[in-house]
Amino acid sequence: MTLRYAYFPGCSAKGTCRELDVSTAAVARRFGLTLTPLENPGCTGAREFRAISEELHLTANGRILALAEEMGRDLVAVCDTCLLNLVEANARLKRDAAARAMVNRALAPDGLAFRGSVAVKHFLWVLTDDLGGEGLRAKVTRPLAGLRVAPFYGCHIQRPPSVQAGVLGRGADTRPALDRLIEIVGATAVPYAGASKCCGFHVVSTEEKIALTMSGSHLANAADSGAQCVVTPCPLCHTVFDAYQPDIERNRGRSLGLPILHVSQLVGLAIGLAPEELALDRHVVDCAPLRRHMAGAAAG
Amino acid sequence: MSPSSTPTTEAPGVAPGGSIRVRIRRFDPSVDAAPRFESYEVPRTRLMRVLDVLDHVHEALGVDLGYRWLCTSKKCGTCAVNVNGSPVLACWEEAQDGMTIEPIGNMPVVRDLVTSRDGYEATLAAVAPQLQRREEYPGFPEPLAADDFAPSVHLRDCIQCLACQSVCPVIAQKDAGFAGPAVLVALAELALDPRDGAARGATAGSVAKVFSCVSCYECERVCPAEIPIVSEAIEPLKRLATAQGHVAGARRAAAFLAVVKERGFADGARVAFQLNGLTLRALRLGLRLFRRGKADILGAWRARRAPGADSVRRTYEHGEGSP
Ligand code: SF4
Ligand code: SF4
Ligand code: FES
Repeated sequence: MTLRYAYFPGCSAKGTCRELDVSTAAVARRFGLTLTPLENPGCTGAREFRAISEELHLTANGRILALAEEMGRDLVAVCDTCLLNLVEANARLKRDAAARAMVNRALAPDGLAFRGSVAVKHFLWVLTDDLGGEGLRAKVTRPLAGLRVAPFYGCHIQRPPSVQAGVLGRGADTRPALDRLIEIVGATAVPYAGASKCCGFHVVSTEEKIALTMSGSHLANAADSGAQCVVTPCPLCHTVFDAYQPDIERNRGRSLGLPILHVSQLVGLAIGLAPEELALDRHVVDCAPLRRHMAGAAAG
Repeated sequence: MSPSSTPTTEAPGVAPGGSIRVRIRRFDPSVDAAPRFESYEVPRTRLMRVLDVLDHVHEALGVDLGYRWLCTSKKCGTCAVNVNGSPVLACWEEAQDGMTIEPIGNMPVVRDLVTSRDGYEATLAAVAPQLQRREEYPGFPEPLAADDFAPSVHLRDCIQCLACQSVCPVIAQKDAGFAGPAVLVALAELALDPRDGAARGATAGSVAKVFSCVSCYECERVCPAEIPIVSEAIEPLKRLATAQGHVAGARRAAAFLAVVKERGFADGARVAFQLNGLTLRALRLGLRLFRRGKADILGAWRARRAPGADSVRRTYEHGEGSP
């Protein structure tokens, strides 16, 4: 059975983190997953629409959900913050008839309606839960043996506890999803203080110091714990860790050089996709050390 | 296991009989050079709480342990401590074998498990946390409807235990000047009170610095009263502050919306330009991204619109309530 989803890449995967969109598509192809992008979805609003009006937050997300409903498929996001906006709006619009009516009035001119017929998932859960350990392992042709990876979840895939229970595994395996995934691709998850903390992205454009102090301490902890790279399911965390890493290094007066991988890139490497197919060259922090590790592992 | 008088459905983490070992952080800043950990053995009792453990250490073992409590029933908010690194109410949390008990974070230790509430109280005082009536008090009974208080009803569950303040990563940065979640809960309770007429949005933006919140939800994770702090206190305050529009965070939100409406998607470079203009810093970051094919700097000026931008804008304008 083919797994088919409606796909909402979000503004980051279509902009600053295009490598996320590229590598997600490549990994999906290899596993035979169908991810069909929504047409003209707009934006979930990051944390900004919510700071302007609740109605705006609900209509913007209602639009995206309604487009997935039109397609008749569950909706997949690749960004923690998009995910939380969509999951929260979906739950609210399902239980709150007045909010649903308000949103449906806004969607009517475009022939759309929110009915509450689809679920929202992160691509990480598609991998760990829908494909599952067996489905993933079957395609691992180049285990990332010996690679020490620091997992970084980001906030909005795991909190608030009243909404998100997603990072814990379902069924028998209740370990957090990234830890399981890192083990499945043959690498080693590095324990360090910071895996479930906040990167600070949502204030980086106005209060850079707050954000970079937070993210800098996580990266330093990861490096001190022996991590060779970090993996994250969120392009916003990726942006703070990767695009701002030169600033973090300058602020802290130490060099880090830690490659930051998207989940799809980590999995892609293990299932034999070429670094070009995963757009590994589109990072600010050079991924060459990672390639060297893999070449060494293959040779030795 | 004890013979079987305890029904398994109660599933106590500490079954009665035998004893448990706990580690407690000890520190008296007036005499000790540095904190230390001490281990104690405490007899198990049925449905034993963290506070029962502290009481035993203090009373039965005769340790001059500093800890604080008052109501012993999740009401006064004085007893929060860290258990295995996360804040809980000592009077409410079940004791565990092998647990480590420490003072909560982000505030100075007075002695052992007692932390200072002074910083919090000063910040709270700075936001004028008393009702400032729009109209004169009409006398008792004041006509109040439940509906008028619905938006703030959960906020009224706050017991000021400061668990939230103790995990907030922005409070941890002292020079950020951020008031913190407990203060924002108190402020939102007033802002959402229909009787209050003070300019709470302005206070939230410039005194409490509500836009410094990174939306990490750590505060909600630990709140023993299960208050939706972000969605029911912080975001309503941001909305009030945005309506007044004069702090950077509020301008960020407005610029973001304007760009999505214009282009049909959030064009990060364009938002940054609208927000801060062309600064050297922005240019340096932009070039860094451009070199790796991560940013289309020129696109920030070129009118790039998604094909369905009009439809997106129409949806949003309905949502905003404008035609
Ligand atoms: S909001 Fe919750 S955690 Fe914070 S002080 Fe109030 S009750 Fe305690
Ligand atoms: S959500 Fe905001 S207030 Fe709560 S802990 Fe995070 S930064 Fe602090
Ligand atoms: S002693 Fe009052 S809340 Fe715990």
